[in-house]
Amino acid sequence: MTSRADFVEPPRMANWLIKLFAVGEEAGSLQGDMLEEFSHLASKSGASFARRWYWRQTRKTIAHLVGNAFRVAPWLTAATVIGGFLLNRLVSGLPERAIFAALERYQVFDHHFSAYLFFATYGIAIGHVIASMFVGCAVALTARSREMVATMALSLVYCAMTGAAVLVVLATGKTLALWMLPWYVADWFAIIIGGVIVRMRRSAVTNLILST
Amino acid sequence: MFGRDYLGEFEHIVVLALLRLEDQAYGVTVRQEIEFRTKREVSIGAVYATLGRLEAKGYVKSHYGDPTPERGGRSKRFFRVTARGVAAVNRTHRALQSMTEGLDLIRSYS
Repeated sequence: MTSRADFVEPPRMANWLIKLFAVGEEAGSLQGDMLEEFSHLASKSGASFARRWYWRQTRKTIAHLVGNAFRVAPWLTAATVIGGFLLNRLVSGLPERAIFAALERYQVFDHHFSAYLFFATYGIAIGHVIASMFVGCAVALTARSREMVATMALSLVYCAMTGAAVLVVLATGKTLALWMLPWYVADWFAIIIGGVIVRMRRSAVTNLILST
Repeated sequence: MFGRDYLGEFEHIVVLALLRLEDQAYGVTVRQEIEFRTKREVSIGAVYATLGRLEAKGYVKSHYGDPTPERGGRSKRFFRVTARGVAAVNRTHRALQSMTEGLDLIRSYS
């Protein structure tokens, strides 16, 4: 029997990723199966071998869970992604309008030019990141139990659009526009983070219900 | 005859593993049985995705066991093949047999 001191825990990050992608009661039994095999492997072949096995299983399992979520409800997922795309078009102009309205209202251009420059460049970019996170949350709330798949798909759409835009910019030689590229990448991640927030919140509520 | 569903390659393997394991069929044992017999690495996610699909088609049924401490307080999900599942396996076997009948696979295509 394994003593408390010998007990080896599976990689926390891998466990967390499984929790994000597996849903409902299936998540519990899937994690239980992985833990059971991990403990057996750790005592038989050592902790580092077991950890490598756990990470390999996690990668493959997530790929299957994502593929399965698409297969089970392709139209619902597509509709959620399109809805998220339209919502993003609607809200992406709001930070710019709000920041310029505030800058004009307080006459920042005349009194604090450096602050004006900061808000007109980085302020708007940060506003877009926050708006993207809001869109990610909205998409995840709509895509019940497929939060991560829907937000990742929407993020991939923007990734492809940015890739195409970068090619056009490079072809036309207007490389100055590329300074915004890290902010676009931050927008993709913000969408996914929105999905993670909603998924974790739902997970916590489900665990609470199951424990009572 | 037409319109009846055949099992896919991995579905077929998973159902056969369930039939072999009888009442001891859950994620770990199914995965290990397939790895042992086919000598190919299988992820637990692939097993669950396939079992979920088979359950939706009515070919397998599942129930949860009691939570155990060695699984971090999580319960095992046991699977068993339904009568429809057995019929689907037989149908798939017959189709494969019919397709391979008369073919000398080893001599002709090796």
